[in-house]
Amino acid sequence: MAQWISTFPGYNWLLTKVKKSFGAVVREGPIPRHVGIIMDGNRRYARTHNIELKEGHSLGFESMASVLELLYECGVEHATVYAFSIENFKRSSYEVKWLMDLAKSKFKQVTQHGELCEEYGVRIRILGNTALLPPDVRKVLNETEQITKNNKRATLNVCFPYTSRDEITHSIKCIVNESIKQNDFIIDQSTIDKFLYTRDSPPLDLMIRTSGTYRLSDFLLWQVVSSDCAVVMVETLWPEFTPYHMAKILLNWGFNKYWYGSPQGYRARGQPLPRQYFENEDEDEGEDEDIEDQESSDRDLDSLINDEDDTMTSQDSSDKEQK
Amino acid sequence: MSIGNTDETVATDAIVPDSITATALPANGDGLVSRKPTARVQVVKPLEVSTDTAQKHPPNSLRNTGIVSVFFWLVDELRRFIGGGSSSAANDSKSTGSTSTINLFITYFNHAILLIIFFIISIYKNYLYVRRRIHLKFLNLTYFPNKSPHIIRDDVNKLSRIPKRVSCIVNFKDEEEENGGIDGLINDISELTAWSVSAGIQELSIYEYNGVINDYYLELNRYINKNLKNYFGTEYVPNISIKSPHSSKVLVNKPEKPIDLYVNLLSKVDGKPTIVELTKTISELAINRELSVKDITIDLINDELVELVGSEPDLMIIFNPNLDLQDYPPWHIRLTELYWEPDNKDITYAVFIRALQNYAKAKVNVGK
Repeated sequence: MAQWISTFPGYNWLLTKVKKSFGAVVREGPIPRHVGIIMDGNRRYARTHNIELKEGHSLGFESMASVLELLYECGVEHATVYAFSIENFKRSSYEVKWLMDLAKSKFKQVTQHGELCEEYGVRIRILGNTALLPPDVRKVLNETEQITKNNKRATLNVCFPYTSRDEITHSIKCIVNESIKQNDFIIDQSTIDKFLYTRDSPPLDLMIRTSGTYRLSDFLLWQVVSSDCAVVMVETLWPEFTPYHMAKILLNWGFNKYWYGSPQGYRARGQPLPRQYFENEDEDEGEDEDIEDQESSDRDLDSLINDEDDTMTSQDSSDKEQK
Repeated sequence: MSIGNTDETVATDAIVPDSITATALPANGDGLVSRKPTARVQVVKPLEVSTDTAQKHPPNSLRNTGIVSVFFWLVDELRRFIGGGSSSAANDSKSTGSTSTINLFITYFNHAILLIIFFIISIYKNYLYVRRRIHLKFLNLTYFPNKSPHIIRDDVNKLSRIPKRVSCIVNFKDEEEENGGIDGLINDISELTAWSVSAGIQELSIYEYNGVINDYYLELNRYINKNLKNYFGTEYVPNISIKSPHSSKVLVNKPEKPIDLYVNLLSKVDGKPTIVELTKTISELAINRELSVKDITIDLINDELVELVGSEPDLMIIFNPNLDLQDYPPWHIRLTELYWEPDNKDITYAVFIRALQNYAKAKVNVGK
């Protein structure tokens, strides 16, 4: 039935209009800034529908484009998709080759029809250990990154080939390198954040996994464990995942944030609150302390505080330089 | 105000709004009425300063919108919306002043729609909540362990496979809550231990965000043993080893006998902070030239973290109404099967056994 309707003239036009107006409505409420998607189920879809694996993968790509369009209409700034895992190299060689060819052709399309990306203003970034890729694919990916570099409206992070453990290890390696170069290099959680592949994106707010598998499969593990991130697992296979499913998830996310203050829904007794509560409290406390300091302090103390401020700003600037 | 009469008229000409001049112009025909504009100007004069600012931007554009004009704009906007970009350019040039009002109206309209949707969602969620709670109550009645390991064993024997390592996320509730406080937590953990021993699980990790339980080691051990006696009788009490990786405390009841269940108490310090500590250690080693950057591999870090925190669990049961990982060690949930029962707030046997049943159904294929 749905397929039959989609053959009507003007269906796609109507769909974009509906997406636009839905986006305008959803933008009024809270919106995730960074969404991660595990696109699972292409192969199972191909198997159950008696089509070739190749077809399944291309259907998956179409479904991704459609879902991303909705996400960007709704005001999501960063989307991270799990396109290819390092573990996927274990698959049969011809399937890996198809996937590489598919990626190459799709990215070439993007680079040739540059206006498509310009219209949406999407910047494409490749995350992952690109050294593992064949050189021709790597070249195409680099070109895509270069061409879309200046787009500002939204970012699409394509994880190709990626695993989270590899990412954390990579981050640790970079930090060790830095600490060899600089003697007083401070290592804490934010340092590891700064050297992850996702350093340019805001913290993850929503993670979606399709195909009824309740595992994270080595995707954005460091980012997902935070209490500020909601994980949504759905039963549908990825090629069947339509913008309608995405819309439901976005509405639910916004509702939870609006109603309960946490993107995951209401919290049980004793469940720790999301970090943002503490951040606000800390800020308030900090301000109070500042006022008290100013009241109780003499001019000498004031000058000391100013000195401290100076050092703080210098640290900040050094942080920016590192970025 | 020392400005001459002629100057005044010049100044007023500039200030008088369009509407006033429009009404004044037809009246110019009568000699009597010719004074009217000056009379009006005198009224306007004290407002000289304020009109200057008003000419730049009206502070609130809503003031001069009637219901009819809003309707016209809405129709206009609808036409533009349907007609696409082609006709919008012509309309824009005419109604530049009113676009902000349209936008404001549309914003309110969208907001109203969103609130209505949220209202419907809240009703639906309440309905779901009631339904799930009833379902859970029903499950709790059907799956009741009755402090007997045989019943648990019967339930587990139906399953095709059971996990070796299970991790549970539990909450520390307030003293005032039902089954709350440290006693409630100890009680919950001892129940989980007894179920795990009966099910044949080898390692049980308990994750509590703040790590409160680490201070109550001996009480926990005593209570677990007491509870195990309730389950297994006094003749054969399973041998338990309790370990907290962060404080490196290990407690074994009967060191000479084989251990039936390893209990691992985790908290948030075993998560990201441990990885940070590991990074610090590695960088120190690298600075002292005891380790080169090339040697840092996934396997090395995995080995170290297994040593520091423990192995990756096969199954994680989240005893919360939602899927909240609460800063659980990120390295250790790579292929872990996650299970949680929506709207469940308690640690019950029904949830535990359903998690095991779910695990038995799931199929793992790394990358393939």
